[in-house]
Amino acid sequence: MTRWLVAALVAVTALGATARVGDAAQEVAVTIENNRFAPDEIKVKAGEPFVLVVTNKDKGPEEFESKELRIEKVVPAGKTLKIRVRALKPGTYPFVGEYHEATAKGRIVAE
Amino acid sequence: MGATFVVTLREAFEAALLLGLMYAYLDRVGARAHYGWVTAGGALGLVASLIAGVGVSFASGPLLDLGPDLVAAAVMFVAVALLTWHGWWMRQHARALQSDLQRRIDDARATQRLWIVGLVAFTGVFREGAETVLFLWGLMSQTNVTGASGVAGGVLGILVAAGLGWAMFRGGRQLSSRGFFTTTSVLLLVVAAGLFSSGIGRLIGLGMLPASAPLWDTSWVLGDDSLVGGFLSGLVGYRARPGALEVLGYVAYLVVAGWLLFGPRSRVTVPAPVRSGADVGA
Repeated sequence: MTRWLVAALVAVTALGATARVGDAAQEVAVTIENNRFAPDEIKVKAGEPFVLVVTNKDKGPEEFESKELRIEKVVPAGKTLKIRVRALKPGTYPFVGEYHEATAKGRIVAE
Repeated sequence: MGATFVVTLREAFEAALLLGLMYAYLDRVGARAHYGWVTAGGALGLVASLIAGVGVSFASGPLLDLGPDLVAAAVMFVAVALLTWHGWWMRQHARALQSDLQRRIDDARATQRLWIVGLVAFTGVFREGAETVLFLWGLMSQTNVTGASGVAGGVLGILVAAGLGWAMFRGGRQLSSRGFFTTTSVLLLVVAAGLFSSGIGRLIGLGMLPASAPLWDTSWVLGDDSLVGGFLSGLVGYRARPGALEVLGYVAYLVVAGWLLFGPRSRVTVPAPVRSGADVGA
């Protein structure tokens, strides 16, 4: 059993390592302030992976979530973190701040 | 208040379901004296969630960028392995479990089942635990009235989820032994299939597995963010717009694990782990 667990962890870590190879993707900044995203519309090039650089200027944590893109990522208060996003087909991909869904809404537009 | 209620209810439901199933299982094998394993597993899951919640607030760089995602994905796949193992074990020992009380406990103990039940409880709580902790922490850091009623809603959501887990436990007691094992196995199977598919979804989101267009779109009937959609997501892994690999993974898991749990019994497929003489199953 322990061996299985170790093997599974190693496999996931290895996958993570491969995903980090070739970090030359375009970076797009987005800020969380007063439980809102700025900008709330993020334009990216379709067909190219990119990196969202999310900064949380609020006093509480927020969770960047896009059900569509299968992204769920806690952004602690006052922190900046990077979220790698896969190459998207042209279209609109909504996201929310799950902890403040009423106000924290935005969308990624790939074109 | 309503919004935070829905969030915590959604996050805590799966954990409550698994805890209810594990308690019901111990009750059924006559090992009620060993409820502590599940309680300890759940409590440790909560402690680990607190540590992870605090840890993530101090982390930075790649550790913050990728660490939580890898942990989340790993926890999902470990949970799938544990649930499958538990279901498989229940099947091997279903007959023994209907024998006399002492033999059942001996059997469960001899094959170290009790700590696995605890591990299931741990992963169940830890999976969404850190997020829920951070969510409530964020609400508490708001000193205004909205924050206070938000916390009340959040706590209420967890309590209602716990109540649903309790109902599951009570419901399990009403069933016959045969009905209990069949129902539990089916539940474990669909919960694990959903978790497996979610894990694949996370890896797709991280760019570690290829993405595809959604195979279908039922978001107009039942959105992922709706309360019912959230429940179905925890229970059977519902997604409004699932990708090809997620569906494939779900079906593949159902076929393989379904065969393990419900397929024809064959001595050849049963490896013989080291067991004590108390083993009378299979």
